[in-house]
Amino acid sequence: MALLEIRNLHVKVENKPILNGVNLKIEPGEIHAIMGPNGSGKSTLSYVLSGRDGYQITDGEIIYNGIDLLELEPDQRAREGVFLAFQYPVEIPGVVGLTFLKTALNATRIHRGQNELDAMDFLKFVREKAQSLEIDDEMLKRFVNEGFSGGEKKRMEILQMAILQPKLAILDETDSGLDIDALQVVSKGINALRDANRGMLLITHYQRLLNYVRPDKVHVLANGRIARSGDEALAQELEEKGYAEFNVFVE
Amino acid sequence: MPDGAGRSFTFLEQAAIADQIDTGSQPHWLRELKESGASIFKKRGLPNRSDEYWRHTLLNQLVEIEFQLSNESPRVGQKQLSQVALAGLSSYRIVLVNGCVRKDLSSIGDLPKGVLIAGFNDVMSLLPNRLEKQLGHYIDLKNMPMAALNTAFLKEGVIIFVDKDITVDKPIELISITVPNKNPTMSQPRFLIDLGENSRATLIESHIGNTEIPYFNNVVSEIIIGEGAGLDHYKFQDEGTAAVHISTTALRLHKQSLYGGFILQSGGLIGRVEASAVLDGSDSDCRFDGVYLGRDNQLLDTTTSIKHVATSCKSRQVFKGVLNGNSHGVFQGKTHVSIGAQKTDGYQLSRALLLSRDAEISTKPELEIYADDVKCSHGATSGDLDADSLFYLQSRGLSPDVARRVLVEAFLNEALAEIKLNEVYEGFRSHIRGWLNKNINQTVAE
Ligand SMILES: Nc1ncnc2c1ncn2[C@@H]1O[C@H](COP(=O)(O)OP(=O)(O)OP(=O)(O)O)[C@@H](O)[C@H]1O
Ligand SMILES: [Mg+2]
Repeated sequence: MALLEIRNLHVKVENKPILNGVNLKIEPGEIHAIMGPNGSGKSTLSYVLSGRDGYQITDGEIIYNGIDLLELEPDQRAREGVFLAFQYPVEIPGVVGLTFLKTALNATRIHRGQNELDAMDFLKFVREKAQSLEIDDEMLKRFVNEGFSGGEKKRMEILQMAILQPKLAILDETDSGLDIDALQVVSKGINALRDANRGMLLITHYQRLLNYVRPDKVHVLANGRIARSGDEALAQELEEKGYAEFNVFVE
Repeated sequence: MPDGAGRSFTFLEQAAIADQIDTGSQPHWLRELKESGASIFKKRGLPNRSDEYWRHTLLNQLVEIEFQLSNESPRVGQKQLSQVALAGLSSYRIVLVNGCVRKDLSSIGDLPKGVLIAGFNDVMSLLPNRLEKQLGHYIDLKNMPMAALNTAFLKEGVIIFVDKDITVDKPIELISITVPNKNPTMSQPRFLIDLGENSRATLIESHIGNTEIPYFNNVVSEIIIGEGAGLDHYKFQDEGTAAVHISTTALRLHKQSLYGGFILQSGGLIGRVEASAVLDGSDSDCRFDGVYLGRDNQLLDTTTSIKHVATSCKSRQVFKGVLNGNSHGVFQGKTHVSIGAQKTDGYQLSRALLLSRDAEISTKPELEIYADDVKCSHGATSGDLDADSLFYLQSRGLSPDVARRVLVEAFLNEALAEIKLNEVYEGFRSHIRGWLNKNINQTVAE
């Protein structure tokens, strides 16, 4: 059974069609990359997968692990193992990072029938993951994302992914805004989670990331559809030629 | 004016005047003070829509129900008391039940030298001259009808005196409990707190109701903070669900004194906490902070006024409100800077979170500045929880209710951070959590 199957997905935002029949199938263990011009609907797709309000799904379906994903609330999806690393992570003043991580982890653990981690075990678990992402205690004690630099926010997203251990991770431009060293750190974090049961959808504009995290498949989203699919070579080709080929079809 | 307002006026007025007849054994000054309260109240009656600072807070309850002063002392045990007291706090404690001081429940036996905590009547026989000099001298009865009413009934209360240079080694806990009685109870307790020069104290004042029956608690406090002295004052209003709680506090701050006030208000059908401070000596520092939590048909009113008279004083107010159901919050905050009060630093912030479509907030921030070299600002906001933050938390597996509770707590943190005493911080926070668990628990958010 596929981990994720998107069939003929049509989505409107404020009555404007954004996705016009997306088809995509991710098997367990696969990493897919989605590239595509600005405004082509990549983030829209990631939000629809994670259940954000404000998207009208006019046609199509999304089957995740054999269940109808669109029937689930965002928090249910998360507890079922769907994770979105946001293109623009939200700042939440007043909520301490560690407390947030603990609440999130325990919500998922309870759902999986595991016991809640106590404060000590939790701290040990988080510190270990944080260290490999070069996130120090001071950052964890701050309010969620508040005043974080762009790169710090992205590392925090990967930390959350590492802690929650999702089955399907959607990473929306996690590589944007990272310096060369941070890109390596983040890539290492992503690769560490690569596993035979987990699927990933990497949304990116740059082949750079794909040199570190090598995808099984590469897709181009244009005009609200998967306009082309291929392997790593497609990313290379896009890097050289850009999206001109696809823009021909823009009305 | 609502139907029957005349009748209500009559009943409270009559009660206030009837109370004067029985004043035979009282000293002349006290009788005069009470009479002045009664006559002001008689003239003004209950506050109504035409009173600028009462427009939103109509006391219809006091029209409909004939409350009576409680004379009996109902049974309340230590066990009941321990349920309402702050956990793990060692304190000097004075307890009122239905408005009457109860020595049997209080622990004021071993006070340090230079500290007096006692019932009004004991102090009347001990130090009548001092009471004569202070009682009623700090409050503007003419503009405070409910304080005038309290004054008309003046016969019960708590007096706290701290001598010069004394630091009270433990917090003082003042607990007022109301329990059901034969008749609807009214309490008119009076508090007088006078801190001598360079003294320090912490006061925790709780008003707790153990009943769903209507009652009326009308509290007046006069607080004088001497030169260089400091008071931290925590106030917890958690009256019964049908209660009317009105409290009026008048503060006088002398040179280089500090007052840190924090109000947690969540009880009663109608709750109004009014505090006004006069900053009389230079370099004093006055803070009013607080949190109010409204649900169902509650009306919760916070009215403050800080009057900068002397130079180089600081005042700061941060209030956060959370309103659910059909509740109505009122915040009226005034900062007045007199002509001579140069170098004033005044800050005021009021923020309200409306958790339901039917909840409502009325805000009236006021800055009145007559000096030119001052730094003053105020801000007021109200709104809903941020949808992006909610989604972010939900996308990490937090249910909508948990996400909402997390965000509400985060919203309140800015005010709660002002609490210095750890036992109070923990106690208030656990009360807030309990409230959130009870009030944010519908899986489908409106
Ligand atoms: N709330 C909204 N109201 C109106 N239009 C919207 C809204 N949200 C998204 N859109 C539009 O939908 C289109 C797709 O946006 P989306 O963010 O999915 O693009 P993207 O492929 O992620 O772009 P980028 O590469 O710049 O991140 C854009 O034209 C955008 O303006
Ligand atoms: Mg995008």
